[in-house]
Amino acid sequence: MSRAAGALLLLALAAVPTGGVAQHITIGPQFAVVDYREVSSGLRYTGSGGGGVAMITYRKFSLAAAVVRLSLDPTSRSTAGTGFTATQVDAWLGYDVSSYASIEVGLIRRTADPEFDAQSLGAVRVGARSSYALGPGATVLFRANYLAAPQFSGGGRSSLSLEVGLGLDVRLLGRLHALADYAVQRVDRKTDPGGQGEVDAPIRQSVARVGLGIGF
Amino acid sequence: MRWPLRTLALTLLVGLARPAATQVGQNAALRRAEQAYDNLDYRQALVLGQASLRERLTGPERARAYELLGFCYSALDSILKAVDAFKQVVLIDPERQLDPNKVSPKAYSAFDVALRQVLLVRQLRVDSTRFVGGQGTVPIRFMVTQPARVVTRVIGSQASYLVDSSAWNGQVNLSWSARLLSGDPVPAGAYTVVVDARLGQNTFSASQPIRVAQGGVDTLPHLTSLPGYQELPESEVPSQSWRPMGLAFLYTGGALLGTVGLKGSNLGSSSARELGIVGAATLVTGFVMTLRKPAPRPAQGNILYNRLLREQIARRNQEIAKENVQRRQQVQLSVVPLPKTGAPR
Repeated sequence: MSRAAGALLLLALAAVPTGGVAQHITIGPQFAVVDYREVSSGLRYTGSGGGGVAMITYRKFSLAAAVVRLSLDPTSRSTAGTGFTATQVDAWLGYDVSSYASIEVGLIRRTADPEFDAQSLGAVRVGARSSYALGPGATVLFRANYLAAPQFSGGGRSSLSLEVGLGLDVRLLGRLHALADYAVQRVDRKTDPGGQGEVDAPIRQSVARVGLGIGF
Repeated sequence: MRWPLRTLALTLLVGLARPAATQVGQNAALRRAEQAYDNLDYRQALVLGQASLRERLTGPERARAYELLGFCYSALDSILKAVDAFKQVVLIDPERQLDPNKVSPKAYSAFDVALRQVLLVRQLRVDSTRFVGGQGTVPIRFMVTQPARVVTRVIGSQASYLVDSSAWNGQVNLSWSARLLSGDPVPAGAYTVVVDARLGQNTFSASQPIRVAQGGVDTLPHLTSLPGYQELPESEVPSQSWRPMGLAFLYTGGALLGTVGLKGSNLGSSSARELGIVGAATLVTGFVMTLRKPAPRPAQGNILYNRLLREQIARRNQEIAKENVQRRQQVQLSVVPLPKTGAPR
């Protein structure tokens, strides 16, 4: 009953017209699919999960945060035996330098449960994004971030960590928005397990999130 | 041959002078005198005219009798007597005029000489006018037939205002500001313009009643637009194009390139599922937006133009507001001449 009531409330809020007021806040649930690889092509997981996103814009500033909880299972060709659950928190703080371009900083924290079934990651984002209005109420976004100072639960360091993303925000009806977001990360992690010298242990994750949002 | 021509000319001139004669002549003797004059029997006309003057005549009849005598004396070349007769005419009726196109030159010159020998103030006129107090004057015109000291005043029920005191001869044009010494407009009411002329012992006075009315000065309406200029639409709908689709391809292509670039040799081929979901949604959105009518966008040129236009209107309205403040403190005077009731002295 509570889920049904929540859905009804969401629909009721979405049906309220914006009335031409500038939109500052968007929040909504998201569904995510993910592909995760670590060390080699043999250690591969796919999965899905749910989460939420919140975005706030104020003048030239924008703040976005997303949380998603993913259940990952080894693929059929994976050498991994069991899956794991990952919780990822993303945040971006952007500043518009022009109508179509912004600089942004942020952070990412992804934790794995059980802890040692996959690498947990924490890093600072520094990058830029470009957004453009495709038409009335539709905005497309491209993002490129450098993941600075990454920390791993299994130790090691990263020589290069990058993230590329694609986003879409379409106003469907009144305050109701359709949100879609894609991000691919590549972290060139190196470890030195026994003091024998560094070995490559790269990580790549691509995640797609789609959902609805209510704008205020 | 000369006599018939002369007779014909005189007949024509007498015939032209008839309209004035038919206006009066109720007195029987005067009527007979006019008939004799019409028959070119000037001597008989003289006898009958002088006889009519011994009877009781009205002012216009008496003026007409003397005028008839003046015409007869002129026709008989007795100019001095004609002048004397015309003097009596203008003394009785100072506004009397002879039309040079309708009377003989002899009669007209005798009448003119008579006018110069009598002190008269004639043709006193005050024109109807309307003006803002302090910004206009009341025109006063009259004619003085001899060089004389002329004092012109406007007399009201409460006060008398001196307009002019000078020596004048001939046509005189004066103006009255209709203001008090303080500068305020004169009160509304009935006034009389009095012109007194003095030459030695001779005096003559003419007057013209007028009415002065006061009213508020019309204020100017505020402007809502400038004539000939109108505001332009501040937004414009750009023409439909493939730009949204192109942008969707560009952004999706950027993400695809980034995905391929981050592939890495150890980790195998990239999963296309995640990018496929979002990329497809982006391309579909771009396609839909290409088909949709583009959103209106601000027309900066028109916005600036409208801003300038509004500033101009606001500036003009400020000026109008200032002017209206002044106008509300002003009084509009209307001056209208009234029909004369009394005769000149």
